[in-house]
Amino acid sequence: MAVTFASRCSRVGRSLMGGLGNNLSNLRSTSSEITCSSFLSQQQRTFIQMRTVLKVVDNSGAKKVMCIQALKGKKGARLGDTIIASVKEAMPNGKVKKGKVVYGVVVRAAMQRGRCDGSEVKFDDNAVVLVEKQGQPIGTRVFGPVPHELRQKKHVKILTLAEHIA
Amino acid sequence: MRLEKCWFCSSTVYPGHGIQFVRNDAKIFHFCRSKCHKNFKMKRNPRKVKWTKAYRRLHGKDMTQDSTFEFERKRNRPERYDRNLAENTLKAIKKIDKIRSDRASDHIKNRLKTGKVQRQKEARKQLELGIHLVKAPLALAQDSSLCLPKIKVNVSQAQTEENQPMED
Repeated sequence: MAVTFASRCSRVGRSLMGGLGNNLSNLRSTSSEITCSSFLSQQQRTFIQMRTVLKVVDNSGAKKVMCIQALKGKKGARLGDTIIASVKEAMPNGKVKKGKVVYGVVVRAAMQRGRCDGSEVKFDDNAVVLVEKQGQPIGTRVFGPVPHELRQKKHVKILTLAEHIA
Repeated sequence: MRLEKCWFCSSTVYPGHGIQFVRNDAKIFHFCRSKCHKNFKMKRNPRKVKWTKAYRRLHGKDMTQDSTFEFERKRNRPERYDRNLAENTLKAIKKIDKIRSDRASDHIKNRLKTGKVQRQKEARKQLELGIHLVKAPLALAQDSSLCLPKIKVNVSQAQTEENQPMED
């Protein structure tokens, strides 16, 4: 009797608590959502370093690569730098296969890069174009906008293949 | 060097200021300062944000159509440098700017005129009704120069005699 009463109480209590908890969690979730979104909107974008997954924007066959080394730069690679990466995801018939170690040029970075006129540019995502060790792109097409910082880094071939220069 | 317009607030972005955001569909957004940039990231519509030029133009608060705007359209053809042309352009910029700002302030003044007239009318009415709070009716009766020109104060002799002992 006491056990059933206790169980009933606990059930009622739990449902009450559940209700309250729901309300609280809703409130908290909405407030945390707001704080989360405000937190997200002030997301600090940083360098491209080891373990950074980048999108591949040419037709070399790879889809996603993971950076394993940023050549030049102690803290990491930025817009226009070259990186060494490992292919994590690839199209079935492509020039590069999964697991291959490749070089890449960062063509879009979410971290802002200063330009010589004092302004700053930032892109929507982190993207890379696979190149050979000499700097010639492996693919024959480049998708999306590319910055004209590449001209200074002597990646002219990528600029000619690009459909839009930002 | 090019002076851009902030995508959010439509103010000019001078060199050395602001951030350019390039979206993956190759659309470039210029922002004059982080306030506009953060509002953009919050996905706010500038047409609904009160302090932006887009809102003000949309809701008729600021001048929308004027011949002075034609001078400031974006031209993508580079002009060959000509000293005379540059000099004339600089002079013209100053003059056009002055004309445009004068016209804009006139527009705002005209817009606010009806409200001002209304408020003055209401103030006058309130003063007429509530003159007893400002000056005693006795004083008004005695010295007619203190009256407002439109006030008619009908005070009979019997009333003044009544009030005098009260004041003493």
